[in-house]
Amino acid sequence: MDMKLPVDLKSLDRRTFLSLPVVSVVLPAVAAAMTPEAEAMSVPAAPAVQNGPINFKAGVPAPGSFPEKWICGSSSCMDNHDPPIQVHWYNEHTVLMRQNKAYSFEAPFLHLYFGNERILMIDQGYTQLRTDWPLRDVVDGCIAGWCAKHGRKVEDMELLLAFTHLHDDHYVGINQFYDRPNTRYMGQTHEEMIGFWGMTHYPEQRVALDLGGRNILIWGNPGHVFSEFAYYDTYTQILHTGDMFYRGRCYISFWDKWFTSMKRLMAFLEDHPVTWVVGCHVEISRTGQDYPYGITYQPDEAPMHMPVEVLKHAYEVAKTITKPGIYFTGSVFLCNETRNATTVDKIAYAYD
Amino acid sequence: MCAAKNTDPRIQVVAYNEDTYILRENPCVNWEAPFTYLLFGNHGALLIDSGATPEGSYYPLRVTVDEILSRWCGIRRKKSVPLTVVLTSGEDIAQNQGIGQFADRGETRLTPLELGARMEFHGLSSSWKQGLGRIDLGGRVVEVIPTPGTHKDGLSFYDAYTCLLFTGDLLYAGRVQIANDRDYVASLERLQQWKQSHAVKWVMGGHIEMMFIPGRGYPRFSTNRPFEHVLELEAGTIDEAAEHARGVVGKPAVVFRKDFILLNRVSPDEKVYQDAPNLPLVPVPYWVSLQ
Repeated sequence: MDMKLPVDLKSLDRRTFLSLPVVSVVLPAVAAAMTPEAEAMSVPAAPAVQNGPINFKAGVPAPGSFPEKWICGSSSCMDNHDPPIQVHWYNEHTVLMRQNKAYSFEAPFLHLYFGNERILMIDQGYTQLRTDWPLRDVVDGCIAGWCAKHGRKVEDMELLLAFTHLHDDHYVGINQFYDRPNTRYMGQTHEEMIGFWGMTHYPEQRVALDLGGRNILIWGNPGHVFSEFAYYDTYTQILHTGDMFYRGRCYISFWDKWFTSMKRLMAFLEDHPVTWVVGCHVEISRTGQDYPYGITYQPDEAPMHMPVEVLKHAYEVAKTITKPGIYFTGSVFLCNETRNATTVDKIAYAYD
Repeated sequence: MCAAKNTDPRIQVVAYNEDTYILRENPCVNWEAPFTYLLFGNHGALLIDSGATPEGSYYPLRVTVDEILSRWCGIRRKKSVPLTVVLTSGEDIAQNQGIGQFADRGETRLTPLELGARMEFHGLSSSWKQGLGRIDLGGRVVEVIPTPGTHKDGLSFYDAYTCLLFTGDLLYAGRVQIANDRDYVASLERLQQWKQSHAVKWVMGGHIEMMFIPGRGYPRFSTNRPFEHVLELEAGTIDEAAEHARGVVGKPAVVFRKDFILLNRVSPDEKVYQDAPNLPLVPVPYWVSLQ
C-alpha cells in the first residue's frame, strides 16, 4: 500500500537537488511525484476499497461546507476567547484554518489537503513561536485525527509545507515544523520554490502534485509579488488564489504580471470546473465596507470564499484599468500599484 | 507577543505625584491606548479624558478612578471629594467612550459631549475659540484653553500646580491627524503665547504612537509597541509643530519630525513609515513594528 517512489539519485539535476533537503536524500523527492498534468490526470482512478485507498476521483467535486462565520477578532484583543486557530473541516479530507486576529491582525487562512500518501499544507500563518500560537499542535491534531479515522499511521504520511507566496504573514509559522519528522519545506527563495514543484517555466507551466490519488494543480500566479502560486484541488475543485485575488485589498505590485495572471486564470476556468475561489484574507464587510489595514475586529465580515463570477467580473473591471489607483469591483478592491497597506480610509474628524 | 495572551494591567496607573495620576489604557484592550489624567485639589478631583472602551469589564476606568480617589482621600484625610469628568474632545471616540461608566456616580459632574453644551459647561459660550475656562479644584486651578484643529471641539487643559499642559490629540508623540489646518496653526500659536506667560514643564498628549527611533511611528492598530517614545514632550515641541504646520496649510502633506508626525489632508494610512531625508534612517524590521 506504500506507493512512494524511490529517489533515483542518478537523475538529480540542480532542480531536483534544490527540492531535496541535503540531510535527508533518502526521502522521496516531491519532484519525483510530479508529472506533467496531462499524464497525471490520465492515471486510472483506484477503486474505493473499505479501509483501503480513498478514491479522490469519483464523485467530484467532493461536497464541502464553509463555516457560517469565521472568527473575526474582538473589540478588546485581550478579551478574545476564540481559539488561537479556527479549524474547519470543509469535508473529511480537507481542512481550512484561520489565525485569530488577536494573535495576528493579518488573520490569514491556511489549508490542509489530505491524500492517500501525502498531506499538503498551504501557508503557515504569522506567528513564529509554538508557545505563542499552537499551530503545530493543531495541525498534528488534525493529522492524527484523520489518520485514526482512515486507518493510517501518522509516520507514513508525508507533510508538504508550501506557500502561496513569501510574505511573512504566510510563512513564519513554518518554524514550528522544523523538527517534525517526514515533513518537507518548499524553501524560501524563488529558485527553491519553483524547484520544489519541479517547474522549469515559471509562471506559465502548470504542474500536478499527486498527494496519492488526489491531484493539486499548481502554476505561477504573480502580481501581488513576483513569486506566487495558484493551487487548484481537483477533489474539491477549489481554486486558491492567495493574496493575488481575495475578498479585500488585492495589493497589486506588478500590474502587467497580475493582469497576465488574471488572463491565465480565465483560461484555466475555460476547461476546469471551479466550485469556489478562495484567498488568504478577508478585509471587507458584507456591505462592501473596507476594514483598514491592521484592524483587529471585523464584526460583519464578508465570506472568505467567492463564486467564480466574482473573479470573472474582476477581470472585466481590470480590463478597463489603465493607471495606478484603487478600484472597487463591487466585491474586492484592486489596489493597482499603490503603496502596500493602502486603505480607503478618510480623515475621520475633518471639518471646514 | 499575542494580544490575546497579554497579562499587563488593563489600566496602567502612574502616580506623577501624590495628587496627580496618569492612567493608560492597555493597547491590547484598544489599540488607541489613550492616556487619561486624574488631578486632585482640596475640594475636587478632575478626570481629563475617559478612554476608548465603554465596557467596564474590559476597561475598568470607573473602578480604577474610585480606588485612586478613595486612597487619595485616606492620604489627605478627606471623607470624599467630588469628581468632574472633562474631555479634550467630545467627538473623539478614542477619548469619550469611558464616560458612560460614571453616569450613575454620585458627587460627579460629567461634561456633555456636544460642542455647544460642552462650551457652556466650561463657560465658553460666545466666541469660544478666544475664550478661557477655569476649573477650580480648591487651591489648584486648571485652565481650559480652546484648541480646535485635530477636533472641531478640541480643548487643552493647563494645570498651574504641576505646570503640565494636557493637549489630547492636538500634540503628542504620534501621528497627529490634522482635521482643519488653519485652526490647527491658530491653536498652536495660542499655546505658544500661553507658554510665554505660563511655565510649561511638559506637554502631555493623549497617545503615544512614535518609536524612540527619530521620525518612526507605529502603524495604526498595533497592539505591541516594544520601543515606544516617552509620553512627555518638551514645551519647545509646540514651536516646532507650529512652524511645520504653518508650512503645510492648504496642502496635502506628511511631515516627519523626530518626536511626532503631522498628517494634513491625507488619509490616516498615508506614509506609514518614515521617509524624511532630514532624519537618520534607522532600519526597523517591519514585523517588529506590525505585530
